[in-house]
Amino acid sequence: MKLTIQIAIASVGLWMGTSAMAQTPEQMFKAAGSPVNPKVTVTWNRYYDHAGLGEICRKIAAAHPNLAKFESIGKSYEGRDLWCLTITDFKKGDPARKPGMYIDGNIHSNEIQGAEFALYTAWYLTESFDDTKFIQELLEDKVFYVIPTINPDGRDSYIHKPNNPNSPRSGMLPVDNDGDGLIDEDTYEDLDHDGNITLMRRKSPNGRFKIDPKDPRNMVQVGPDEKGEYELLGTEGLDKDGDGRVGEDGYHFQYDPNRDWGWGWQPNYIQNGAYKYPFSLPENRAVMEFVMKHPNIAAAQSFHNAGGMILRGPGGQEDVNTYNAADLQVYDAIGKKGEEFLPGYKYLVVYKDLYSAYGGELDWFYAGRGIYTYSNELWTPYLMFMKEGSRDPFDNPTYSFDRYLLFQDAFVPWKEYNHPQFGKIEIGGFKKNFTRAHPGFLLESDAHRNMAFSIYHCYSTPKLEVQDIVEKDLGDGLKEVTAVIANQRMMPTHSSQDAKNKIERPDYISLTTSGKILSGMTVENRDLNLTTEQKNNPQTIEVPNIPGMGAVTVKWIVQGGGKYTVNVDSKKGGIVIGSK
Amino acid sequence: MKRTLFAALLVWMWGSLPAQEYSNFAEQTNRLNTLAKANPTLVTLRSLTKTNGGKDIWLLTIGTGKTENKPAIAVIGGTEGSHLLGTELAIGFAENLIKGSNTDSIKNLLAKTTYYVFPNMSPDAMEQYFSKLKYERNGNATQTDDDRDGKLNEDGFDDLDGNGKITLMRVESPVGDYKMHPDDPRVLIKADPSKGEKGKYLLLMEGIDNDKDGQLNEDGEGGIAFNKNLTYKHSTFAAGAGDFPASEKETRAMLDFLYDAFNVYAVISFGSNNNLSTPIAFNPIAARERILAGYLEPDAKVNMMVSELYNKVTGLKDAPKNVNTGGDILSWGYFHFARFSFSTPGWWVPRAKPDTAKKEKAFTIEDPTANYLRWAQQQGISNTFTEWKTVQHPDYPNQKVEVGGIDPYVLTNPPYKMTVELVKKHTDFLVKLAGQQAEIDVLNVKTEKLANGLTRVSFDLVNKGGLSTHSKLGERSYFLKKLKVAVKTNDKQEIIGGRKISLLSSLDANSSQSFSWIIKGTGKVSIEAGCPTAGVKTIDLSL
Repeated sequence: MKLTIQIAIASVGLWMGTSAMAQTPEQMFKAAGSPVNPKVTVTWNRYYDHAGLGEICRKIAAAHPNLAKFESIGKSYEGRDLWCLTITDFKKGDPARKPGMYIDGNIHSNEIQGAEFALYTAWYLTESFDDTKFIQELLEDKVFYVIPTINPDGRDSYIHKPNNPNSPRSGMLPVDNDGDGLIDEDTYEDLDHDGNITLMRRKSPNGRFKIDPKDPRNMVQVGPDEKGEYELLGTEGLDKDGDGRVGEDGYHFQYDPNRDWGWGWQPNYIQNGAYKYPFSLPENRAVMEFVMKHPNIAAAQSFHNAGGMILRGPGGQEDVNTYNAADLQVYDAIGKKGEEFLPGYKYLVVYKDLYSAYGGELDWFYAGRGIYTYSNELWTPYLMFMKEGSRDPFDNPTYSFDRYLLFQDAFVPWKEYNHPQFGKIEIGGFKKNFTRAHPGFLLESDAHRNMAFSIYHCYSTPKLEVQDIVEKDLGDGLKEVTAVIANQRMMPTHSSQDAKNKIERPDYISLTTSGKILSGMTVENRDLNLTTEQKNNPQTIEVPNIPGMGAVTVKWIVQGGGKYTVNVDSKKGGIVIGSK
Repeated sequence: MKRTLFAALLVWMWGSLPAQEYSNFAEQTNRLNTLAKANPTLVTLRSLTKTNGGKDIWLLTIGTGKTENKPAIAVIGGTEGSHLLGTELAIGFAENLIKGSNTDSIKNLLAKTTYYVFPNMSPDAMEQYFSKLKYERNGNATQTDDDRDGKLNEDGFDDLDGNGKITLMRVESPVGDYKMHPDDPRVLIKADPSKGEKGKYLLLMEGIDNDKDGQLNEDGEGGIAFNKNLTYKHSTFAAGAGDFPASEKETRAMLDFLYDAFNVYAVISFGSNNNLSTPIAFNPIAARERILAGYLEPDAKVNMMVSELYNKVTGLKDAPKNVNTGGDILSWGYFHFARFSFSTPGWWVPRAKPDTAKKEKAFTIEDPTANYLRWAQQQGISNTFTEWKTVQHPDYPNQKVEVGGIDPYVLTNPPYKMTVELVKKHTDFLVKLAGQQAEIDVLNVKTEKLANGLTRVSFDLVNKGGLSTHSKLGERSYFLKKLKVAVKTNDKQEIIGGRKISLLSSLDANSSQSFSWIIKGTGKVSIEAGCPTAGVKTIDLSL
């Protein structure tokens, strides 16, 4: 223990030393809304592999021992840790009993920026705590669980192995994609050894493509009456197993970790990408176990790319009624607020605006656990020129953005290659770090905006208060004690899906008094005295829900008594106490 | 003398005298170990996992040579903890099969087929049968909050008459919906208000409302039931189903094993589901639903064929109607595992004929309990009915409450002595089913010289079996391997025409497909054809 502290202190000293060497505090002037001289310096215009993310997590926890705790919630298939930062004001209240906001990223291997976005949230909250009253109050009330990547194997393989912007989507568990009994026998091949899997084209008198006159790097399809010059031969690869198909069995698309969750799960012949059964992937299983152990999680966010979307479920049409009207009010209010924060992002519904997807993470969080959950599809072409653009990666805005703002750093120029099966071809195209991942200079600002959305979401989780305790004398030594428990935020303590299926236990409102409690009841209408008695254990009244921006009223009949303490214990609303 | 001889014969047949009662978990484990130790070349026993109750989930692999390379049938018992017969049928099948392993027919069978026997998927629940308090339990030892109120096991059954069994409880009540059976006053049946009938009793399970919430016995030691915990139409949040599909260790252990067992073509389970007495009918609308809800037509035909085989071999009649509850193994085996899947209770109470000597008449109202009592009497089975007896009940202080009724377990588990015959019939069925399995062969192999160093190779790929190599649904699943035809050439040979590797989704029963190649070069060429569910055939040719 002592050793750990010493190491921590030493490490903090080391970074402070480093930052002092670079700049002294007097030389810096605070830009509004950003920490001016953070204890942990992180460069947010680049990406980090799994080890890099872990290093930042460790530094945050070491620099802010009262605000951040660092743990591994499980291991990936290849044995990497699933790192989690718990962010709250550890000096105030029991973290496990505060309403919780869960954030993860990178469930799809190539959708990497979710990890930086999630981690930025942890970094910002800890570094801004001292300066910002709002964040002090937020971390007194709430707890954030930040798991930057829930797919570290896939992340590292995307970063360190040859890939394109779309690959791999899977984790690393081996699968025989083409059902021929062999595993990964015909993967992509980085023919030009540049770490990027780009495209193959070949000059052909019968090709249906030509060079784009506006940007010669771009290939465009010719019109139906036009003669073409090139044919496109797909992504860089060979037919290694001689089955007449190129690159058909690699590790890139063997399964989809976001079709592996325990609500509405369907097998792979219905839902492409599904694995064996819900939570059959070790990473998702670890997340599920973490969520089951943290019933205080009331809100959740997962980060994907791309397209600029704030998504809610359902993933399948069958669940349209699962997302019922009462819960949609909350979803819509937060989602529409998000559209204001996030230029170019639209609040959409998975099954009707995107595609049908069974067994997705957001459906399990909401329908399986009653947690209000969004998936954001990070990065939108809108951010290139701040106007609606096409989402086609071959569209010219992408090329001109690369030309004028990235100085052609995002493109591998076409060059000749002698292919064993196709003969003389050319290889070229966008690098894997562009078209889906944010370019460096836009990373921090969009991370900040998405974090603001998460903070608003978290802020909306229940905040309970014992508003009023009133004693009325009934004569004969009997007292009627009425308590009003209010919820000051938008979310109820039980989403309607939760209340309907009793996912989480009722909220307990208990009275402690020196008198004898004869009866306890919930009050439906205080003015007209409409009540329902709870005969068993009247001291602790169970209420199924405390509505958002609303209140519940309970009362007890007490013999004797005097001082009254009312304790409210809600899994997602936390614990509050009031006395009279 | 005769009796001694008979006993000696039994000893020889069984290795020991047959037990008179169902085996508990320790005894089952013993039987499995004995079988595996005595037959190391035919049987391997392994534990797939331990349940939350600390009990092993055993897997017996029966076969010869490389068992994983032979088409296989999975046999699953104990899908419901209250169904002891199912575990007996599974273990008894293994014992019977091994007993016959010196005969040519079983030798030939085990040369071609592997059996994966899961004797007991509900060992935690099954032990309730052997414990001090008997009640029909299907849930495992996982702690569950069945009524989802935040408290665990606060209101279970109570043995009010102290007989060690949970039976029924009837309460005289003006709002009661049950009345006495006109032909057997011991039995209560539901009154039919549409016929102007009025009930006299509330009919409940034996117990007290321990937590005074107005519901009786709603949260005892529930646990999760294996046959509700699988992935097809899982009733999430329902008592005993689990908060999500495959939440339990034993469920996952079986799924993990089977999803990697690409050679399994059929799953036979013993439990309350039944598509063997009556096949599941083809429903064209259900078969077209996006979330598939009915058998595809060719698979419904296979069910019909196998059902006929089952009825012929076992001679069992008058089965109760099949009710699929969701989350069950029968549905999983087909809809999610995409294999041929069959299930049977293995036994049910036969329809008892009225004993005219006793002036009995046919029942005016059919009722399983009334039928059981008549049948039991004819079989000389006694002590399975507790006469109604008045008890003092705290929840009904001013009403007449009586406890009684038939014993738990008796409607689905025959007296143990009857299991010998049932095991034999089901062994026959499982052997005959393997006789129908898909079998790949290569016929009409031809090599024609076209010119110097150029040869046309052709053959017919044939499925000689009575089943297709894949279920129709299996053609869509990536947890089945394709039927592969691969030509292996050396560096001096070149395939000029035809594919080096062909992948077929399936080959129907009794059908063939022709293949041909043009190969340049000389020397030996080998062609491998087959798939795990139908076996692999290799042919070597000289060009």
